[in-house]
Amino acid sequence: MLENLDMLGVAIAHFLTFDAVLNVAWATLLGIVIGSLPGLTATMGVALLTTLTYHMPQDQAILVLICMYVGAIYGGSRSAILLNIPGTPASAATSLDGYPLAIQGKAGYAMGLATTGSALGTIIGIVCLAVFAPMLAELAFDFGTYEFFWLAVFGVIISGQLTSLADPLKGYIAGFLGLLVAMIGMESVHGHVRFSFGIQEMAGGINLIPAMVGAFGFAEILTVMKRRRAEIVAKSVDSVFPRTRDLWRYKRTIGRSGILGTFIGVIPGVGEDIGAWVSYAAARRASKERDRFGKGSYEGLTAAETGNSAVIPGALIPALTLAVPGSAPAAVLIAAMFIHGIRPGPMIMIETPMFVFQVVAMLLLATLAILVYGLSLTKLLILVLRIPREKLMPVVYVLCVIGPFAIYQRLFDVYVMIAFGIIGFVLREMKYPMAPLVLGIILGELLDKSLRRGLILTDGDLTPFITRPISMVLWVTTLIVVLMSIPPIKRGVAGGVRRLLRRSEVRP
Amino acid sequence: MNQRSLIRADFITAVVLITLGLATLYGSWTMDRLEIRRIHPASVPGLVPGGLGLAIAVCGALLLIRSVRSGGHRPLSGDGSFTRWLHSIEARRLALAAVLCLVYPLVLVGWLPFWLATGLFVFAFIVVFEWSPQDSEAAPSSARRRAVLLWAAVQAVLVAAIVSIVFQELFLVRLP
Repeated sequence: MLENLDMLGVAIAHFLTFDAVLNVAWATLLGIVIGSLPGLTATMGVALLTTLTYHMPQDQAILVLICMYVGAIYGGSRSAILLNIPGTPASAATSLDGYPLAIQGKAGYAMGLATTGSALGTIIGIVCLAVFAPMLAELAFDFGTYEFFWLAVFGVIISGQLTSLADPLKGYIAGFLGLLVAMIGMESVHGHVRFSFGIQEMAGGINLIPAMVGAFGFAEILTVMKRRRAEIVAKSVDSVFPRTRDLWRYKRTIGRSGILGTFIGVIPGVGEDIGAWVSYAAARRASKERDRFGKGSYEGLTAAETGNSAVIPGALIPALTLAVPGSAPAAVLIAAMFIHGIRPGPMIMIETPMFVFQVVAMLLLATLAILVYGLSLTKLLILVLRIPREKLMPVVYVLCVIGPFAIYQRLFDVYVMIAFGIIGFVLREMKYPMAPLVLGIILGELLDKSLRRGLILTDGDLTPFITRPISMVLWVTTLIVVLMSIPPIKRGVAGGVRRLLRRSEVRP
Repeated sequence: MNQRSLIRADFITAVVLITLGLATLYGSWTMDRLEIRRIHPASVPGLVPGGLGLAIAVCGALLLIRSVRSGGHRPLSGDGSFTRWLHSIEARRLALAAVLCLVYPLVLVGWLPFWLATGLFVFAFIVVFEWSPQDSEAAPSSARRRAVLLWAAVQAVLVAAIVSIVFQELFLVRLP
C-alpha cells in the first residue's frame, strides 16, 4: 500500500513540469469546449485528438487524451443546462434538472453545482482506480484463454443490454456487427486473411480510429446539421460558487453516485450516460425531495453529474488491467495506448506499473483543471455555445477527413471513416446503440483468438470453457442477462418474485 | 423517425441482417480450412465468423417476426408521412450536409491539391447553409449575404492554411 502511495507521489511529480501543465491546460479546455458543443462528443474528441498526438512523447500524449476525455464529459453539462440539449449523451440526465434551473434564473449556480459534482465524482472514481486497478491486475493473472473468451462475450452482451434497455435486441445486433467488423483482415492464430474481397488494404483489418471518427464524428455532423437551431436561455449568469451547505446536504448522494458511477464504468462498454441515469434514478429513489426531481432539483443535478464523471476512472480500470474498455472513449484510449507503445492488459502492473499511477495523476490534474475552468470561465463557455454550427461543422469535418488519413497516409482509412459515418448515422436513427458496436470491434480479436486457442489446448473439448470458476461466473451471468431480456421470461420471473414476496408478507 | 417508420425500418433492417448473416455463414463455411497446413480442425479461421453470421441471422429473424407482428411488412405510402418528411427542412438540411461531406473526400481530395479542396469545401459549406438559413423565417438582406461570403472566404483560407501547415510541416504527413 505504502509502495503504491509512493509511486503515486512520483507519478504526480512527473507531471509537475511546464510542458505537462500547459498540455493539461489546453487539452482540458479543448475538451470542455468540444463537450459543450452539441454534436461533438467525448469519443469523437478523443479519437480526433489521437490523430494529432502521434508525434508527442508517450506520457504527454496519453495525458492530453485523458484531459480531453474528462473535459468533454464535464463540458456536456453546459449545453444541457443552457440549451436543454446535452453536449454529449453523458449529460442527458443533467438537462432534466439543469435546464429548469436555468429557466428559473439559476443557470450559474447549476453550472457551479455541475462543476463540483463532476470534480467530486471523478475524485471518488480516481480513489477506486488507484485501489482496485492493481488488485484487478493481480486477479487478471487467473484469466486464461477460456476466461478471456467469456469476458469478450460478456462485455458485448452486457453492453448491448445496458445501452439499449428498452430494446436489448438492437444492442445485441450492434455488438455482433462490431464483432463481425473485427473479423475482417488477417486473423492472429494462423495468419489467414478473411473477408478482404481482394482489397489489399482490407487485409490489415479495419482500424478502430477511422471507424470511431466516422461513427462519432461524421454521423454526429449529419445529426447536428439536420436539426433546428436551439436558443440559449441564459444571457447572463448568477453566482457559480456552490454553497458548502448544499454540498454537505447532498454528501450521501455524492458518495452514492460516485460509487455507482465507478461501478457502471467498470462494466464493459456501458459508459457515462448509463452512469448518470443510474445515479439519477438511485438519488431520486432515496431522496426526501423526490417531487422536485425534473423541476430543478439541486440533488438530481448533482447526482447526474457526479455519476457520469465517476464513470471515467471506472472505465479505465478494466481498460488498463484487462484491455477491455468500460466506455466508448476508453476504447479509443486503448487504441491510442497501443499506438504509443503501451500494452494495457494483465501484464501492465509487471511491464509498466508506473503507468497505472501516471493515469491516476493525469486524472487528478484534469479534475483540477475542470474545477478551475468551471468556476472561472462560465461567461467564456457561454460564448462558445454561440458559435454557429454552420461555421464549426466544416472545420470538424476537415479534421475527420485528415485525422484518419494521417495514421497510415492512405485514402482507404478516409473511406472507412465515411462508411462508418453513414452506417453509424443510419443505425443511430433506428435507435441502435453505438457503444456495443465499438466494444465489438475492439473485443473481436480477443474473442476469436481465445476461443480457437482454447480449443487447440483442449483438443476441441469445451469442458474447461464451462467448468472453470471464473468462466462459469461469466457464462452464467451472460446467460441470465440474455434470458432476462426475453419478455415472457422477464414477466414470468417478475411475477414469481412478486408472488414470493406476497407469500412472505402473509406469513406471520 | 416516428414509431410507424421505425417499425418499417426494422422490417427492412431485419431482411438486410438475415441476408448478411447467411452470407457470412456461407462465406465462413466455404473459407479455406487450411488442411494443407495440418491445423487443428477446431481452430479453422471460419469458426468465429460462422458463429457470428448465425447469431446475426437469428437476431435478424427475431427482428423480422417482431416488425411483421406490428405491421412493418406493409408499405408506408398510406399516411404520406414519409413523403412529408422528404419535403421537410430537416431532410433538405441532411441531404445538403451529406452531399457536401461526400463530395469533399470522394471527389475534391485527390483531384485538387488538399489545401484548395479544403478551402472550397469550407467555403461551400458555410455559404450553402448561411445564404438562406432554412430554420429562420425572414430571408437575409443583401448586406448580410455579402458578409456571409466574406466571412466564409476568410474562414476557408484560414482553415485550409492552418490544417495544411500543421499536418504537412508539423506532423510530416504527405497530404493527398
